[in-house]
Amino acid sequence: MKIVAVTSCITGIAHTYMAAEALEQAGKKLGHEVIVETQGSAGSNPIKQAVIDAADAVIFAVDLEVKDRDRFAGKPYLQVGVAKAINGSVALIEQVLAAAADGTAATVAGKAPAAPQEAPKKADSNEPKKAGFFGSLFGKGK
Amino acid sequence: MSLPVTTPEMVIIGAEAKTKDEIIRTLAERLVAAGRVTDIETYIAAVHKREESMATGIQGGIGIPHARSAAVTAPSVAVAISHDGVPFGAPDGPAHLIFLIAAPDGADDSHLQILAAIARRVMRDEFRDALRTATDPAFIADTMTKEVQQ
Repeated sequence: MKIVAVTSCITGIAHTYMAAEALEQAGKKLGHEVIVETQGSAGSNPIKQAVIDAADAVIFAVDLEVKDRDRFAGKPYLQVGVAKAINGSVALIEQVLAAAADGTAATVAGKAPAAPQEAPKKADSNEPKKAGFFGSLFGKGK
Repeated sequence: MSLPVTTPEMVIIGAEAKTKDEIIRTLAERLVAAGRVTDIETYIAAVHKREESMATGIQGGIGIPHARSAAVTAPSVAVAISHDGVPFGAPDGPAHLIFLIAAPDGADDSHLQILAAIARRVMRDEFRDALRTATDPAFIADTMTKEVQQ
């Protein structure tokens, strides 16, 4: 599976990067591809929109607001404090993948920019369950 | 060329401090002696403020107190090995390997990338183990610097 993540912390010099490393290591251990955007002080490394679009789930391990959160709109996600990714990255990945798979994951609100797909329907839609995320992929073709 | 992030004088093997405050001060004194911190009280206050928002102990016996401050002249990391351990708020016990990170206020990205690289390595077992078992401050300084600087 593919997971994209954002990490951030108050000072932006340590935990942001420790969490990124922990998530990447956990991904390797579990056999999933994990790509992390560190929103810290040492410049930014925005994840390409195409990579976000292809992700199965999103993890926000942040102590600050996610910058340009709209990029992740429609994706099933889990948001926790940065410490949780440092001390429990494996569990976090398993948790978000399980929630994405069974359709219980919350999805990021908003509309993704320049994405070749529609923003997700409202939660009250009558579509088959699990449509939140997968449904958004059906949208307007390429 | 940038300064090494850690020099031997910033390393304490067998630190005797028993508390977090003590070890932070002891390491900060090393940063002052090395010319990396100009005002110890200003810097320590910033570190404590960071610790108050969330203790920086992490699993595996690591403490990583840190702060950005105008009292810091260059990105630096002081390192202590404590055989008895110092409580740092981690769920699995005291810290035996402590990294005190000092970042200059308003430093440019390239400077802070060095510290980001250190933070990432702190999460790697082989890096931790190499430092934990070290008996020579120069080896620790060298390992810290070599990993992240050319």
